[in-house]
Amino acid sequence: MQRRTFTTLLGAAALPTFSIVRAQSLTDKPSVIRIGFPNAGTGGRPVPTGNFPASADQLGEIAQEFKADGIRLEWKYYAGAGPALNEAYANGLLDFAFGHGDLPLIVGRATGLKHKIILSSGRFGPTYFVVPSGSNAKTVADLKGKKIATFKGTAGQTQMIRFLRRAGLEEKDFRVISLNSDDTKAALATGDIDGTAGVVTPFDLEARGIARTLVSTDDPAITTPGTVWVGETFEQSYPQIVQRLVTRLVKVAEWGTHAENRDKQFNLWARSGTDPYSNYKTDWGKVTDLRTRINPLLDDYYHAALQRAIGEIKEFKLIRKDVSLDGWIESKYLDTALKELKLENHWPQFDAKGVPKSKAA
Amino acid sequence: MSLTADVPEGLPRDRSAPAQRSDRQAALWGFAAAGARLLLIVAAGLVLPALLFTLWWTATERHWVPEQILPAPALVWQSLAELWHSGELQSHLEISAARVSWSLLIGGSAGLLLGLAMGLSKTAKAYLYPTFDVVSQFPVLGWIPLLIIFVGIDEPLKVSAISLAVVVPVAVNTLHGIANVPRSLFEVARVHRFSLPQVIWRVVLPAAGPSLFTALRQGVMQAWLTLVFVELLASSEGIGYLMVWGRQLMQMDLVVVGMVVIGIVGVLIELVLGTLEARLQRWRPAAY
Repeated sequence: MQRRTFTTLLGAAALPTFSIVRAQSLTDKPSVIRIGFPNAGTGGRPVPTGNFPASADQLGEIAQEFKADGIRLEWKYYAGAGPALNEAYANGLLDFAFGHGDLPLIVGRATGLKHKIILSSGRFGPTYFVVPSGSNAKTVADLKGKKIATFKGTAGQTQMIRFLRRAGLEEKDFRVISLNSDDTKAALATGDIDGTAGVVTPFDLEARGIARTLVSTDDPAITTPGTVWVGETFEQSYPQIVQRLVTRLVKVAEWGTHAENRDKQFNLWARSGTDPYSNYKTDWGKVTDLRTRINPLLDDYYHAALQRAIGEIKEFKLIRKDVSLDGWIESKYLDTALKELKLENHWPQFDAKGVPKSKAA
Repeated sequence: MSLTADVPEGLPRDRSAPAQRSDRQAALWGFAAAGARLLLIVAAGLVLPALLFTLWWTATERHWVPEQILPAPALVWQSLAELWHSGELQSHLEISAARVSWSLLIGGSAGLLLGLAMGLSKTAKAYLYPTFDVVSQFPVLGWIPLLIIFVGIDEPLKVSAISLAVVVPVAVNTLHGIANVPRSLFEVARVHRFSLPQVIWRVVLPAAGPSLFTALRQGVMQAWLTLVFVELLASSEGIGYLMVWGRQLMQMDLVVVGMVVIGIVGVLIELVLGTLEARLQRWRPAAY
């Protein structure tokens, strides 16, 4: 008798919960979508920068997409970059990441975070090794044993390690401290560090006489494409919502590849304060076809670069467990979006080495 | 006559034992009781850690908290062992210990001098105390931006920030210790025409001893607290750095290892200070 009462009570308590779940699956839409960027503007201002997902946020495209459905959008900007974004996701505070770098992405996966890679947020671009303007160094090797900075735990660190390796050096040859990009600039100005790589675009600092570029490179083997992912639970519960979001993002990416929008998007990105317009202008100066860098594809290059990064990160002992690409990359949303928008042939495919396929053939 | 030989046969014949034996027996019982009491105290002290450990273990075992946030005890133990064997832990600890030692030396002596000056001279107190009182209200965190401008982000930043954190508790406790020295002792010193060094050495230091040790203890505690915070900034080594690094790579076990090490070092320092104090204060058993 008593047991029955208890069961009834339990059932009564559970009923509202079940009905909420049912209501959700019937309409197939969440009440809120939580999107995280692994960067914030200068001084933590909530303005993302540097890629087409950032443009999509600033142009209000995603908000517009879901306005009619009454779905609330929650934007989060992590000054602690990729590692902070990982923590937030592990705590169940996020559904999407807009532009995760290789190191935090792979570190998160290695610790068991469950997400699906749905498109890339961009690729390539130069890497600079920057020193204070008063530095006597002529090569990176001159700085052996000195103090250099990068943002540890982010893609900036892997970029720096690869850069050093190309010069026949490794992290251990230096005292490497962790600083974010604002602090790195300040430390260059005060001479507190002897160099930096992977974090700072130097042109405004050069113009102000604070720093100079020691070496720079466009080598595609130094960088890894950025990644947009969705949490596995969200993807399973609301595939249509994921599709709409991906399609909208691809549309913004396409907008960004047109020459007439080049300056417009640099101006949008400059709002974050991390880099002024002139930095983007020079940084992208050699990019004649914007489609090479503003590229959402999960092509051979994306796969190869991610696989390469996993190997390197394991070798650098930054992860303990192996990470497999199997079941991690879900390209169906991107494929559908490209088809829907008739953009199947808009972006050039790159081979595993980062060479455009049409050119390579 | 050996005590151990008596125990096995002595105990069962307790009641029928002659009078001269019962004395020793009573002493033995007292001994046993004291031992049991000590055991109880230790056991009582272990209850809470044991409960916490069980909670930790269960929480990870049953996945109440994601593994990325709270690592399993086994993993923490494994990382601790690995770091120890590779010598990495010792080198981090060495660097942190050096930072703490320098800061204790600089901040501790500055605090002691300040406290002595303000405690012994009314004039010094009139000039120094108001400023000291205001400045001591700033948390170390508030000093950091200013310190970065003056001393940069390197070793001097760490040592000066920790020293600042040490100065205040040492000075305050020294001051209070001197203020609590009975006036009559100073009067006796005056009668004997003691010089200032004599007053400090023979009156102030012995009488204010316990307070000085409290000052030292609080200084050490503050130093370790601040160390971890300061090592979060622009470091490439040290226990605090190890913890930040672990967090950046989502290896929370490293963070917990850092916490455990800091805890153990704290207990060790406390033990050393306690022993030292007990030795120095032996002439005055009531003090400890």
